[in-house]
Order: sequence, then C-alpha cells, then structure tokens
Amino acid sequence: MAATLDPFTTLGVDENAGDEDVKRHYLALVRAFPPDRDPERFKVYRAAFEALCDERKRLEAKLLNNSDAALARLRLHLLAEAKPFSARASKATLCALLVEGVARASALGESDAQP
Amino acid sequence: MSAAYHCPNPPAPPASPSAARAMEAMRLGQFRDAIKLFKQLVKEEGKDWLDGLAQAYAARARELAAKEMYEDAQILLENTAATDGAVRDPLLYVHCLVKRGQHQKAAEHALKYVGTDKLAAAEAARMGEVAAALSLVTPRRRDAAVDPHSERGRWLEQAAAARLALAAWLEGKPYEEIDPLLRRISMRSDFKAVRLILKALITAPLDANRARQLMDPIAPQSPFAALRFAVEAALATPQSEHLRSCSAASGPERSFFLQVNGLSESGCQSLGEFVKAENSGPGSLFAYLIKQADQERADDIKKACLSLLPRAPDRLPRFEKSFGPLSAFDKSRVLALAAEARRDWDAAERHWRAAAASLETMGAPANLALGVIYRHLAHLAGAHDGIDVELDDAAVDYLESSLRSDHNHLPTALKLIAHYRAKNRLGDWGRLVEQVLACFPDEAAVLLAAVAWAAHAGDLDRAIGHAHKLLLLDPINPAVRKRMIELRMLLARQKMRANRPDLAEQEIAEASKLELPEAPSSPLRISAALIALGRAGSAAAVARLREAVHLAGGDVCAWVQASLEHLLMGSTGDGSVLRRGIKEAQKTPPTKEAILSVAAAVDGNAARDHGAAVASLVRGMRRWLLKGATLAWSADEVRPVVAMLRQAEAYQELGAYAKQGLARNQRGGMWHVYRLVAETKGNAGVLCEDDVEDLAEIADTAAQDGRLNDARLIWSFLDSADDRESAKDTATDAEGPLDELISNIITASLARISPEEVARLIAKHGEAKATKIVAGKLEKSTAGAILPAEKLREFAQEMVQRVMAEIARPPTAKEDQPWQQH
Repeated sequence: MAATLDPFTTLGVDENAGDEDVKRHYLALVRAFPPDRDPERFKVYRAAFEALCDERKRLEAKLLNNSDAALARLRLHLLAEAKPFSARASKATLCALLVEGVARASALGESDAQP
Repeated sequence: MSAAYHCPNPPAPPASPSAARAMEAMRLGQFRDAIKLFKQLVKEEGKDWLDGLAQAYAARARELAAKEMYEDAQILLENTAATDGAVRDPLLYVHCLVKRGQHQKAAEHALKYVGTDKLAAAEAARMGEVAAALSLVTPRRRDAAVDPHSERGRWLEQAAAARLALAAWLEGKPYEEIDPLLRRISMRSDFKAVRLILKALITAPLDANRARQLMDPIAPQSPFAALRFAVEAALATPQSEHLRSCSAASGPERSFFLQVNGLSESGCQSLGEFVKAENSGPGSLFAYLIKQADQERADDIKKACLSLLPRAPDRLPRFEKSFGPLSAFDKSRVLALAAEARRDWDAAERHWRAAAASLETMGAPANLALGVIYRHLAHLAGAHDGIDVELDDAAVDYLESSLRSDHNHLPTALKLIAHYRAKNRLGDWGRLVEQVLACFPDEAAVLLAAVAWAAHAGDLDRAIGHAHKLLLLDPINPAVRKRMIELRMLLARQKMRANRPDLAEQEIAEASKLELPEAPSSPLRISAALIALGRAGSAAAVARLREAVHLAGGDVCAWVQASLEHLLMGSTGDGSVLRRGIKEAQKTPPTKEAILSVAAAVDGNAARDHGAAVASLVRGMRRWLLKGATLAWSADEVRPVVAMLRQAEAYQELGAYAKQGLARNQRGGMWHVYRLVAETKGNAGVLCEDDVEDLAEIADTAAQDGRLNDARLIWSFLDSADDRESAKDTATDAEGPLDELISNIITASLARISPEEVARLIAKHGEAKATKIVAGKLEKSTAGAILPAEKLREFAQEMVQRVMAEIARPPTAKEDQPWQQH
C-alpha cells in the first residue's frame, strides 16, 4: 500500500468536515510542525489543506480519489491504547535500527560522503 | 548503489596496447575484462599496474553489490587489501559485511580507520560514525594495549561511555540517572548522535518538541539516521502522524514504535495482522477487513472496503454479498476509478458518464457532485487524447455540462470564456461574460474578461467602466493601466471621427492620469499631439508630435504609427508633417527589425479597415523597402513583409524580395511562391498549368509540415484566380487541374477518418455531436487549411449520415469508404 496518506487522513479530519474544521486542524499541525523546522512536512500539510479547503474540493477529493480515511480510522482504533514513551524499546530493536542505518550510510559510497 | 566507474586514474599514458585496452574496458564499465587485462599487465609489466587492478576490483565489486551479490563483492574487495588490511573502498566493504550479517567483522574493519589518515576527510568522518554505530551493536572486545591518550584510546573511551548510557536507557533508568552519563559523551566525537538521540528519548515524555529539535543536527545520511527517524515517528503528536509511522516504517522502525508506545501483545498482534494485510496489497486487506465485518466499527469497515474496491474491483460481488447492493452511482464510480487505475480511458469515461446520469435524477442536491464529475470528464478528455482526437470538443461539452450543474464555478466559466473568445463564438462569449459578471462583479479575472468582451463588442464606455472598477481593485497593476489607456485612446479616436476634438482631448487627459511617470506611453503622447494638431495646427503642436514620435523611437515605424493613428482619427488636421517625418526617417538604412515593425504596425484590424490609405502609406516607402530586399531574410522571417507588400499591391518590391531570396536559396519553395505572386501581380489566373501544380504541391507540403500560414497564403492566392475566373465566366471547367488537386486533398483528408470511427462516435455521442467532432477533425487536417468551416461541417454531416444509413442497412460485401467517392 502507498505510504502517502489521503488529505483527510493527513489533516486528521472526517470526510464530512466543514471549512472551519479543516482550517483548525491544518493550523494546529502547522503550529506543531512549523515550516521553518520541517519544510517538507509543511508542504504535505499545505497540499492536504489546499485539497480540502472548500466544499467543491472536498467533494473532488471524496469522489475522484480512493479515500483511505476509513482505513485510517481503523488503524487509529488499533493504536488507541498507545501511550507514547511509556516503555523502552528492546536492545534487539535498537541494534536492528543501527544496523539499518549503517547499511544505508555505507551504501552511499565514498563518492557520496559529505564532509 | 551506482556501479558506474567514476574516476579512472591511469598511471601514465598507456604504454602498450594491453594497457590501452584495459583503460578502455574501465571506461566502458566492462570491469571483468578490465580485471583480466590488468592482471596480465601486472604479470608482464610489473607492479605499477597493481593500482589499476585494485580500481578494477573495486568497480566490479560495486557493480556486484548493486545486484545484491554481497559475498562476491566482499571477496573482490579483499583482493585489494594492503598489508595492514585496508581495502579499496572500505565503506563498500563494510556495507557488504553488514548485509551478510557479519557485524563483528564489519565493526573491526571500520575501527581500523579510526585515528588514521588512510581516508580522505569526508570519507573518514562517515567511517568514524559507521564504526561508532557498529561498536554499539557488537559485543565489546578487549583491545590490547591501546594508549588511552592516543586518538584511538580516546575514541574507545567514548564508545564505552555511549554503551553505558544506552544500556541505562534500555534498562528503564530515569532521566536523572541517564543525563550525567550522556554528558560524558563528547559532542565532538563520532558518538555525538547517540548523545543527542538518548537525550531526546529521555526528554520526550516531558517536551516532545524539544526532543525533536535535539535531533536536528543528525544528518539523513548518518548511520544513526534510522534510529533518529524511528524516535521522531514515535514522537509524533497528531494521530495522523502515527498512521504515517505505521504505513511508511520499516520493520525495526515499526517495532520501535510499538515498543515505546507500550502496546500490549494483543494490540501488537491485531495491528501486526492489519499491517501485514495492508502490505500484501488491496485484495488481501479487503479479505482481512471483510472477515472483521461483523465486529465493532462495522461502518468504518464497510467504508474502508468500499474505498478498496477501485483497487480490487473483482471483489465487488463479495462486497455486495456482505453489505448489500451498491447504489448505481457508487458502482459506476468504483468502476470508473478502477478503469482509470488501469489507464482504460474509454471505460473510465463510460462509467463516469453513467455515474453522472445517475446523479442527474437526484436534482439540485447532487449539482455540485455533478459539476465535479463533468469537470473530471473534461479533464480526462483534455489530458488523454489517446482515446479520441476530437477530445478538444468533448472537453468543451463536458465543461458546459459542468457549468450547467454548478453555475458558480468560476475557473470553469473563465476557461469557457477563453475558449469561446478563441473560437470567435461571439454569442456564447458575450452571454457567459454577462452571466459570470452578475455572479462575481468584483472578481478581477471576470472584470478583465468583461473588458475584453465590451471592447470587442465596440461598447467602449462599458469597457472603460469595467477597467475602472478593476483599477480600484488593483490600482498598481500595469497591465490594467495599459489596457485602460488603450480604451481611452480608442474612445478619443471615435470622438475625433465624430468631429468632437474637445471630447477626444478629455479622454486623452483621463488616460494621461494613468500614465506612470517612469513609463511614458508613446502611443498616448502621439494621440494627444495629433488631437492638438487637429485642433490648432500650431508650431507647438508639431513640436509636440515630433517629441512623441521621438519617444516611440523616432524611426520609420514610429512615423508610420503616428500616420496610422492620424488615419484612424479621420485624418483631421494637416498631415504634411507626418509625410515629411516618414521621408526624413527613411534616410536611415532599413534593418530587418525596422521593416518587420512597420509590417506589424500595418497588420492590425483597425489598419485593415483602411486598406487603401494604408496601401498608399506603404507605397510611399517604396525606396526604403526596396533597399531592405537585400537583407538576408529567411522565407519564414519575410512572411509578414510579404503580406504587407501584397496588401499594398507593391508587387515590384515583392519581386525584389523574391529575387534576392531565390538567389540565396534556389530550392526555397516559398520564395518561388513569392516570385509568382509578384510576377502575376497577385492574379493567379495568368499562371500556367505547371506553376499551379507546383504551387499546390508546395501548399500541400506546407500543410503537412504544419506550416498552415504558408499553405493558406498559397491557397488564397490560387483562390483569387478562381474568384476572378468565376467572375468572368461562371461556366468554368470544374475538372481543371486546380480543382482536381483540391479534390485530391479533400479526399485524402476524409480518408483519414474511417467509417468505423464515425460509427463509434455516433454510438458514443449521438448524431449531432459526432458531426461536430468529425468537423473538428477535418478542421485540423489539410482540408482545414483550404476549406471554410461551413463547408467542413457539410462534409462532416454527410459522412455521419452515410454511416448512419450504412448502419441501418443489412451488411453486404466490403465497399469503399463512402466519402472517398467525393
């Protein structure tokens, strides 16, 4: 499945949300992830906002695309019991992440090495 | 990973053919051959070639690693090992070891380079971090007798500190215990990223934003980046970000996310199953969800399954079995999206039309949705001309349907206005402008369209009114100011023609208020001076005119512009100053730019309305234009000049241009045309048969090459003969060579549209629209360059009617395409 989320899921709004709701969620995300800190993420939020900012566009998003909003809600439901940073990861997981990082970094090769 | 060979470093200019072949093999990326050749060179010519051999080994190893053949790549790199164990391309070597699960060996190898100068600075920095990350993954080994004050000794001390801090976090120690351990890790060491990440992890429960900021210095190409991104994903506060983490994460990242979020075993399991199904494709996910349909959140499960159907349309019966039949609209929509996904545009169009038809029955509440679908159909029609060539017209039809359903969709209305204007559909243009203006009276784009329409309709007062409103909305817009000045000038022209110079002066005074001091408008100054000249004729007015012409460039073109304006104002006042001005300006030798700007000046609609006077103006510049014939024109460049000379019936000058052009390019078809136009003084009736055939052939080639302007010029010349002949004798022989040629061209154009295609159009769009589409196709063919639109429509209608008759008739033996008998 594509990792790109549909605009409803990106902004975390319902398919039946109105203008105000969409704007509120968008501004909350921009406050949490200001564009100067994470321009790429901001671009994603901005694109999602522009795709939903009025009734016609929301209809377009709903009718002409495969909306994954319901799927996202189901995933969220499964994640409902999550308590961020309430536990520690295992050593095996950390090692696996470090090995993954080493594999990516060494694959870049000598010509790609940055000072 | 690129397998390209980037930096051959030959030991010297190749001394032998073998050396040359080896270098060539490297250049061509044939590394296996290069290895063989370098081996041979080492045997025959000595160890000087060892470096070349090592380069070939490393290049081949990179090629193999790109194909995930890590073991072979590792062996090749080991062939390059020096006595101290250092290999060529050590990062690649570490990469191969890691990929093969030999973490300990990789860590030891990476450590070889720490504190040495074996690598270049950038590579050494990367290798240092790689060694640091690997040292945390592998068990600690006793390093024999390392001086603690040496660089390597200090590095190992940092490694121990990092390992200790990491262990403390894994054991669940609190902030207060971990923080002092972190301070022992230097921010200048290769373990800096460990310190930052652990600090972020212990800060996260207190301040997620601060935690995120802490990790900013860790570059995406760092070996610690995967850990950084996993922590960032777990830090995400909005729920949608959690979803991003689950969807996009790798296995270890997902595990990290689940673990630090304290998800239960069962929670992990359900999520795991969900994610597994999701990763296996839409069909699998659909199957997984449908099994859960009778559990909680059934509504979301139904919606999720529905959203998966376009990606797995074969599950439609299963969906209907579980959730009941889909509405006609939903079913058409699902099938349309599925067709789009497999790029079957015909099917997509058919299903979207069915979806629209089912919405049509629902009345006003469905209007917005209908508008969306018709706009989408228009987009499909415009974007995917793989289906039908006629889609331009289809797109317009869909846009019109969209606007009927959703009157207030401004972008659609503006698109249609632009289309009507381009196609000169005056009725539709005016009607839509008025309609949109009523809905959006303060919209700049609408006001601009209204200005254009009113000016075209000759209602200058209204155009000025719209422009005035536009200026109130956007006072510094230079394009609007320029348009407003032009409109006032047009009005002033009208007043002058009505013999009201006083009112004309008022208009020009109003226009002057819009002139920007830094960008004076020369046409406006010329108009003002001409009005003054018409009213008073004083020396001051003449001086003012000279000044305005000087502002416009002071050359022949500037004087021609002034003369034209004088003409358009009704030639009020003494024109002698203008004639003298043009004469004086012609003392400057002509250039291509000067002649072309004169041709452009006399090409406007207004100038065309005063053909005779303009022709006299052009003929007044004969000598100057004749001098211009010697310039190195191309046939393309000279086209506007030819049009001007032809319009002014200046055939002698045209002949001079053609003669010079043919001298430069004897095979230039268009120069030949220009010569014939000049020699016949524009009367094709006196041409011999061979010349007519030549011209028809040149026109056909031009039309086929897309040079429709050239083709039109030739056909209009040949048509002039026809007109004259028919005027003289209406009983002209219709089977003459010209008619035959035209007939051949028309037949060829018609033959490009098969009866099957027409039948398909009729089936899809009905008779009226099919006729329109066929006419559009003919317009774009060679026939379109020579026949008027009405004639093309007649042909199209006949073609459609014949096919309809054929469809109605029982099938017989294969016949010729009916319109080839024309």
